Amino acid sequence: MSHTVLVVEDDVDIRQALIEIIEEHGFGALGAVDGADALKILSRATELPCVILLDLMMPVMDGAEFRQAQRQDPRFASIPVVVLSAYRDLDRHAAPLEAVSVLRKPPSVRELVTVLHAHC
Amino acid sequence: MTSSPSNTEISAHPEPSETGSPRSLEERFRALVSSVKDYAIFMLDPTGRIETWNAGAERTKGYTADEIIGQHMSRFYTPEDLARGLPAKLLAQAVRDGRVEIEGWRVRKDGTRFWADVVITALVDDGQLMGFAKVTRDLTERLHRQEEQLRLAHAEEAVRLRDEFLSIAAHELRTPLSALQLQLQGLLERPDGVEPRIRAKLERACRSGDRLVTLVDALLDVSRITTGSFNLTPTRFDLTVAVQEVVERFREHAARASSTVTVRSEPGLEGRWDRLRIEQVVTNLLTNALKYAAGTPVEIALSGTDRDVTLTMSDEGPGIPESEKERVFLRFERAAPMRNFGGLGLGLYVARQIVEAHGGEISLTPGRPRGAQFVIRLPRAHLPGGTG
Repeated sequence: MSHTVLVVEDDVDIRQALIEIIEEHGFGALGAVDGADALKILSRATELPCVILLDLMMPVMDGAEFRQAQRQDPRFASIPVVVLSAYRDLDRHAAPLEAVSVLRKPPSVRELVTVLHAHC
Repeated sequence: MTSSPSNTEISAHPEPSETGSPRSLEERFRALVSSVKDYAIFMLDPTGRIETWNAGAERTKGYTADEIIGQHMSRFYTPEDLARGLPAKLLAQAVRDGRVEIEGWRVRKDGTRFWADVVITALVDDGQLMGFAKVTRDLTERLHRQEEQLRLAHAEEAVRLRDEFLSIAAHELRTPLSALQLQLQGLLERPDGVEPRIRAKLERACRSGDRLVTLVDALLDVSRITTGSFNLTPTRFDLTVAVQEVVERFREHAARASSTVTVRSEPGLEGRWDRLRIEQVVTNLLTNALKYAAGTPVEIALSGTDRDVTLTMSDEGPGIPESEKERVFLRFERAAPMRNFGGLGLGLYVARQIVEAHGGEISLTPGRPRGAQFVIRLPRAHLPGGTG
């Protein structure tokens, strides 16, 4: 199983911080600036990521649109998705996306690493 | 259907003339005009001097007929309008166009001003100007109502703009704050460890970040409440369990405030509520208690009936004066002076909105000799849905 995490997040500082934390804890990490960028990265990848960390509110293609496209593509449909969101009632926003886990932004390092270990 | 009496008081019955015979049509019309009280109706000679006067004119302008007949109509105009020659201009326009209508300030006998709607009609017979008919209505009250409506609309717009600004500001603040917290946590949780002195500093920075997030979230809640996008997601749970979890999260905070928090509860306090929001209510009350009543014990008592549950949170701090007991639930309000305590004054406002959205009530117990005591009553099954 791959040990690479795809981080889909439009804010460069949040994306970079997540990538650093993920790498410091022994995983590989790729960054995408929005849903469309994430689909491009997935199409080019030689090895698919073990999990996708997905922000909900993004320009160009948001989290829900990305998730819909991902589920429709048999190559990527099985990659588990962990939703990251600043919404307080994030369960309600994330439920339609059928994510394996939902983390409130910013997640604590401990909960993030625990989720990654469960899927990678 | 019966007709309602008009504001205009007129005599409905023609009175006999001095000779005892019924009055002529002209006499009756003259009687009607002179008795109208809501409109000043009078005639001017071709130069603008007043020739007739009715009850409405006396009531509106304050002059009796004896005082005003023979005077020029410019007497009713303000010094500003006189300076620009308005009376003459209006008469000239009435001659040219047949009539002129204008709204503006006019002056009463006692010097006070009223907002008038004025119609001046030129009376022409066989091509010769005979004079003018002038009808004036006092619209001051209507003007004041319009001004009041305008002020209200401006105030509502200002509040809307403020709420919109708060919403945008809060959203914009949330993202860099998340990035900051992630960076700090990333440093704090480095797998190779952190030097103890740095760790203490990072922990303090993280706590500051958490406080900022709490403040920003409160602003976001307010904007959700005011825009009506405040939704509840009800599930079935035991209130005692939720309260104990919040208290557990506050253990370190309570220790820093030198306060103890105890929970006394009856068993079986299940209900159907939005857990996150109910935890937020308890969080907001507890935050207040540990801020304003630091160093005193805080007690949370939970009890229930078949229909509802009651949460009572008491502290032994300075309490809230009787006069402030409603105000503390308003937006951006607090009982304590702002310079002594931080915060936005939103915690109790948000708490009340959440409790009321659940069909419940939150209040401060009146007349406590010491400390504040909040009482929350929550119906067990107000929110729609299944067993959750």
